[in-house]
Amino acid sequence: MASTQERIRSKLRRAAHAAGEFLYGMTTYDWVRDMQRERGEIERLFVLVTFGDIIGIPILPPYYTLRLLPYVVPVINRWKRSLLRERDLTDLAGLIEGIT
Amino acid sequence: MNSIIVLIIGALAVVVGYGVYARYINRSIVQPDPSKATPAKMYMDGVDFSPASRNVLFGYQFKSIAALGPITGPIIAVQWGWLPALVWVILGTFFIGWVQDYGAMIMGVRREGDTMGALSYKLISPRARNILMIFIYFYLLLIMGAFGNAVGKVLMTNPKVPFGMIAVVLMGILAGQMTYKWKTDIILTTIVTVVLTFVGIWVSTLPFMSNIFSALLGGPDSPTLWGNITQAHVVGTLLVIAFCYLGSVLPIWSYAQPINYISFWIVSLGVLGGIVGLLIWRPGMGDFPVFTQFTTASGPLWPMLFITIACGAISGWHSLVSSSGTARQLEKETDALPVGGGAMFMEMAFAVIAFLTATVAFGGLQGYQDAGGAGAALGVFSKGLANFLGYIGVPNEFGVAYGSVFLTIMALTIMQLVVRFMRVASAELVGNAVPAMKNIHVGTIVALILTLIFVWIIPWLTIWSAFGAANQLMAGLALLLISLWLKEEGRKNSWAVIPSAFMIVTTLAALIYLAYTNFAKLATPEITTQGTIASVLVGAIAVVLILAAALLIVDGIKALLKPREERAPEAV
Repeated sequence: MASTQERIRSKLRRAAHAAGEFLYGMTTYDWVRDMQRERGEIERLFVLVTFGDIIGIPILPPYYTLRLLPYVVPVINRWKRSLLRERDLTDLAGLIEGIT
Repeated sequence: MNSIIVLIIGALAVVVGYGVYARYINRSIVQPDPSKATPAKMYMDGVDFSPASRNVLFGYQFKSIAALGPITGPIIAVQWGWLPALVWVILGTFFIGWVQDYGAMIMGVRREGDTMGALSYKLISPRARNILMIFIYFYLLLIMGAFGNAVGKVLMTNPKVPFGMIAVVLMGILAGQMTYKWKTDIILTTIVTVVLTFVGIWVSTLPFMSNIFSALLGGPDSPTLWGNITQAHVVGTLLVIAFCYLGSVLPIWSYAQPINYISFWIVSLGVLGGIVGLLIWRPGMGDFPVFTQFTTASGPLWPMLFITIACGAISGWHSLVSSSGTARQLEKETDALPVGGGAMFMEMAFAVIAFLTATVAFGGLQGYQDAGGAGAALGVFSKGLANFLGYIGVPNEFGVAYGSVFLTIMALTIMQLVVRFMRVASAELVGNAVPAMKNIHVGTIVALILTLIFVWIIPWLTIWSAFGAANQLMAGLALLLISLWLKEEGRKNSWAVIPSAFMIVTTLAALIYLAYTNFAKLATPEITTQGTIASVLVGAIAVVLILAAALLIVDGIKALLKPREERAPEAV
């Protein structure tokens, strides 16, 4: 009996959680994404300024960049892909919501 | 037929369409693997790629695809009778709509988060991407014209609406300040700004406020300034243009984003209230005819019905949102069906509600026509919604103003983002040749002048048809891409090829019809200067879209017949 009640409670909790996530997706998720995007852009630019020589743009003397290297190594592959990824206008389409 | 029976039919379509057909295709043909790393996880960079749970993405996807399209299309389409409109909404979603949204999403996931532009380049031909850009630019221009027309020339000409719209804008700006500058709790921000917005809408219905706007709009018999453009049209449209200008040039966090947030609550509460009112009232269709006639003001049922209802059945824009936006955020491949397919079926339900506002809210065909009919579809919705809201105690006068503000703000939140997009697009496309276009004000003003031309010159039903045709052609091409991708993966693709062929043939027929009727008008002796410009513009756009589509179809068929290794090289 107790386990049945527990199961029902657990299902209700999951349903409430899903409804909350759905509401979040429709309301403030965009705000969060925009802020994450802005931070990501700044980080991408920072790595370009400090480690531009990885893609052939020598900017800072290696001494300073070497001190930053341990912090940049974990993101280097994603950074290179993100920076060099081919883009076109359809990339922006995802930013226009509710158009139709 | 009773409205409850229509709702039950809609619910059954969701159960069978999503629960049986879509799941069968997903499980037996696409076979998503939950253990496979998605681009959101592999390439997470916090900019384009970042994983989110499927519930969050379901809300995000639904919000991204559902706006004025599923409301306007069915209300215009009931001019052929209620049965053709209802059948296309349900069967369109069942066999085509979800296939495109889900297909574009899972294709994006399996192709490392590539956009439709990159996929066109790789799967069809290098020029396919450029042609897609042409489609997108015309599509955006037409959407600006269509929504600008509906809002500036219909909704804003009601003196009880403009102040409500201004209230939403002011509260949106306040919400942005409270959140980002004053760091106020989001719940408090929401309560304060949404309640004040409702107060603003109520103030807009008071005589002293409506008298001010009535004087600005030229009174009940607004004077004609030129052609069929009245003072009310000019004032209403210029308010829209001012709103879009600010949305395009101001930082997104201070204007566009918080206004979108406030409008979400205004719209959601209106829809919820309308559904409750409908369920309490449970009206029938009265004498609304099952079928009126094959040819109406919008043209013949085939092909025009299928481009009149785009969103709510199938819409090409969804493929761009699904691939460029949502596919890069999926945590698991198995989330593509509930997010892409599920959101499309939910949009179908939204379209059914809009369909009911036209068919049951006025007691029959005469009531629908008195409310404005196909020529003032958004006016029909706001009055129909007010009738539903009346059953939960909302006074009709407030209900109509609320419904009008609800639709106005829904259109404007899209239009401001479209102008932003057009500004970026024109800077990218012609910025090197014309450096002035890189200036945000110049780019915005050019986009808005083009919008004004479309709004003031082209009649509403014509521009809606042209917009629908551009949208549906994009859908046909997205389905063609999905078919090519399925073939490349060695999977059965008839479930995408047949819808693609149907959409391409139907839309090309509609474009040929649009081109023919508009050029034929030029030969009529009574045509005005305004009519001549409108016909030339729409006819020329139709011809450009036909030519662009023909090139894409030729390349697409060649790609279908080519062996895999002979496909276009990878883009660098």
